[in-house]
Amino acid sequence: MNDQWIELNIGPQHPSMHGVLRLKAKLDGEIIRELEPVIGYLHRNAEKLCEMGFYCDNLVYFDRMDYVGAMNMEVGYLEAAEKILNVPPPDRAKWIRVIIAELSRIAAHLVWAGAYGLDLGMLTPFFYCFAEREKILTIFTEACGSRQETNYMSIGGVYQDFNDKIIQEIKDFLETFPKRLEEIYNLYVKNDVFLSRTKGIGILSKEVAISYGVTGPMLRASGVEYDIRRAEPYLFYDKVNFEIPISHKGDNLARFLVRFEEMRQSLRIIKQGLEKLPEGPYFNPKAKKSMMIRLRGDGEYYARTESSKGEFGVYIVADGGVKPYRVRVRSPTFKNLSILPVLSKDVMLADMIAISGSIDLVFGEIDR
Amino acid sequence: MVDIISESKGKDGRKIVLVSVENLIPFMKEMRTNGFDHLSLVTAVDKKDSIDVVYHLHSMERNEYVVVKVNTKNSVVPSVTGIWPSANWDEREQYDLVGVKFEGHPNLKRIFLPESWVGHPLRKDYDLSKVQYINMDEDGEDYVTFDAGDGW
Repeated sequence: MNDQWIELNIGPQHPSMHGVLRLKAKLDGEIIRELEPVIGYLHRNAEKLCEMGFYCDNLVYFDRMDYVGAMNMEVGYLEAAEKILNVPPPDRAKWIRVIIAELSRIAAHLVWAGAYGLDLGMLTPFFYCFAEREKILTIFTEACGSRQETNYMSIGGVYQDFNDKIIQEIKDFLETFPKRLEEIYNLYVKNDVFLSRTKGIGILSKEVAISYGVTGPMLRASGVEYDIRRAEPYLFYDKVNFEIPISHKGDNLARFLVRFEEMRQSLRIIKQGLEKLPEGPYFNPKAKKSMMIRLRGDGEYYARTESSKGEFGVYIVADGGVKPYRVRVRSPTFKNLSILPVLSKDVMLADMIAISGSIDLVFGEIDR
Repeated sequence: MVDIISESKGKDGRKIVLVSVENLIPFMKEMRTNGFDHLSLVTAVDKKDSIDVVYHLHSMERNEYVVVKVNTKNSVVPSVTGIWPSANWDEREQYDLVGVKFEGHPNLKRIFLPESWVGHPLRKDYDLSKVQYINMDEDGEDYVTFDAGDGW
């Protein structure tokens, strides 16, 4: 270490840190030479808690991982748990999950967009984003009575069927949102300060991204067309038309553009989902409430799903009992955060904030 | 070709390859040159008398998946961080929570829990009744005590 360098501690509580991230930085003037993230402040060992609960109980821990897009976490856990327990959900439940998961993806991206604006000193888009997000949360409230930690899905289906009111609300949302989305989009891309702080900053190359296990919008912004909804379709993602947005620039702005395009594609998926939503049962009778804790699982299963942040994997090892033997969660942001020391080497301190914001950090998921 | 112990198919339709601890590094190097560029997940599973370490490998180009397993009795496994940098944090996490020592890891420290934490929580014999309290020393680093200090 050079004598001229000073050590700076950023966090664990800091307005631009999206949660409890602590960074130990070694600074040469205003340039970061070394950076070490310190995590674990929100750790509650959900993997151990999952070993202690029945398969149906464990869903609540997954809600609290990525709490801004909880529905995607539920889909991820159930993809693995239902295969272990051999209780496939009926078609209607699967389509409901597709619709709800895509709404949740939009909600998560809106939180990111708003918070990223705040990181770069823009206050206004934050309110626009959260006003739109609130409409999605109202739909969730109508569906299950809860806004964020929804616990809406259950093993073998969903907790409650879609009624006409929810479908009408989603249709209203599909009508009003595209226009609002373009408004929000223009607030960013027509702002010179935003562009100068994102264009060409934090460039991540394809090879480095793959070797560090980076997935999701971050990887797609680096030019890899990899989306698990297409690569290994789950639910009914093979029956809907959508495009995978990619960019070859790999900088902060590319990540921003990819996420906005993803929201537009999500709207397309929701629209097709509503058209294709069949009549029928919304849960598997094998998993009705009195039977749920008696379900036994065996074997091991690794399910991969595309959450709003990247590849969300759940690996369950079962031993024939009513509780899982081992649950392992691959959280996308955990891997995406590990790239931060590489990206912020020899950049200005203020740019590091812009880079860390573009990763889309949610600490419920990193610390688990 | 590196020797493998057995090959089977999992419930998820993915190939599971069991290799010995000595052959792990040559086998993984071979997999890396075969195009498996993305190490998705490193998991350690406590089997009470031994520990299974499971690697989920993925090839971005061919979209192919392979699961590699090793079984260790003394919970020591060579690190694959030199082959895939993404193993760095995963191995630190598994060392922290399950207590597998990854030989040759550049920075094998606990990642979630403070360095002086006693035991590894995801072990099956971990004593949950023993409460550990985290306090902060003068330098701002965490330390662990078994009786509640002033802060509690």
